[in-house]
Amino acid sequence: MGIAAALAVLAALLGGAALTHMVERAFVRAGREPGPAQGADLRHALELPNADRLLLPAGPVVALAGVALAMVVLPLGPGLVGRDLGLGLFYVIVVVDFVVLGLALAGWGANTPEGVEACYRIIAQLVAYVVPLGLAYVGVIMMARSLSTVAVVDAQRGLWFVVLQPLGFLLYVATGLMQSYRAPFLEPFAASLGGGVLGVAGGWSALVWRVSLTGVLLVVAAVGAVLYLGGPSGPWLPGWAWMLAKTYGLMALMLGLGRLVRPLSTAEMLALSWKVLIPLGLVNVLLVGGLILLGVGSGA
Amino acid sequence: MERMAAQSSVLGDFGFVALVLVMAVGLALLAAAAFARAPARTVRAPPAWAQFRFGYAVYALIFLAFDMEMIFMYPWAVVFADIGVSAFLDMLVFIVLLSAGIAYAWGMGGLRWE
Repeated sequence: MGIAAALAVLAALLGGAALTHMVERAFVRAGREPGPAQGADLRHALELPNADRLLLPAGPVVALAGVALAMVVLPLGPGLVGRDLGLGLFYVIVVVDFVVLGLALAGWGANTPEGVEACYRIIAQLVAYVVPLGLAYVGVIMMARSLSTVAVVDAQRGLWFVVLQPLGFLLYVATGLMQSYRAPFLEPFAASLGGGVLGVAGGWSALVWRVSLTGVLLVVAAVGAVLYLGGPSGPWLPGWAWMLAKTYGLMALMLGLGRLVRPLSTAEMLALSWKVLIPLGLVNVLLVGGLILLGVGSGA
Repeated sequence: MERMAAQSSVLGDFGFVALVLVMAVGLALLAAAAFARAPARTVRAPPAWAQFRFGYAVYALIFLAFDMEMIFMYPWAVVFADIGVSAFLDMLVFIVLLSAGIAYAWGMGGLRWE
């Protein structure tokens, strides 16, 4: 039972990542930076004479593990969830950050000027997105009264949270793009850094990075669908079809909106986050608190 | 009896997460094994491990304060609807204090990239 469910979680990750890659390639335009969607050299392994023997290969393994662990709590349908953890959403935030750890390990371990620079920029991007992303989760948790992903879906039976918390949804779209390194927040994978960590990957590590980096986008879109769009709930169609449609619909919306803005540098991302997104996130928490005190959306 | 059931469910949660972790690492090792005989391309680049002067030291410090604030908000958010107005006022004071902190850092030029 447990082993079959764990295999199903990994299969969902691999299948979802393949579909995500196709969606993402559809948004790549000539003359625009592809970011993490850039083609990687899958045929040749890469030899870096100065690289760290342990840190460089540890990077993709850590990142893949983080993405796979995040898939555990995603409800793909009624009863179709790897494990309904009581800590659900908090667990997702913690576990997805292992991707950042993996990228930093590989960038530093590569010991090339571009790799080390990418490592620093990836950590600065974490400093920019984590707090507003967490604040976008808090509003949903206040209305659902639970951290469990299944309970969050149940709480949206009547009305999706995107209607009650439009500000939180916009915050999630912006910070989700930052978390998944998609345009306009692709500085750590820019061509000026030689593709960042992808530039020092080859062979198996390029393949594992491909799965991890598309997996991050998949997890961000799926968590967004659970938080604000009611996850797998919906009329007529089965739950998994709704979850699939909402996840990839949100992903296409995010990628499309991201293409409308010119790429931001790391310094601009930090300024945007601390001067605009975090104050907005605090306002959103207070707004949602006021709504609940007025008796809106508190469910029971 | 109930307590034992709760304990075994917690152990089951940990066990399942550990199982997925082991399988994900195994998948990465499989990928590495499949490419073991791929031809290699050597890239020469100068070593880059050196001390840098960070442009975002102040950011890192206020990040620590806000990250902790966010973690404290999660248990508060779960019980908020049951407690009501007093919980709202408590968090209002907390948010005002931290907003004063970020306003101070902004005013002192701490949010500038050096």
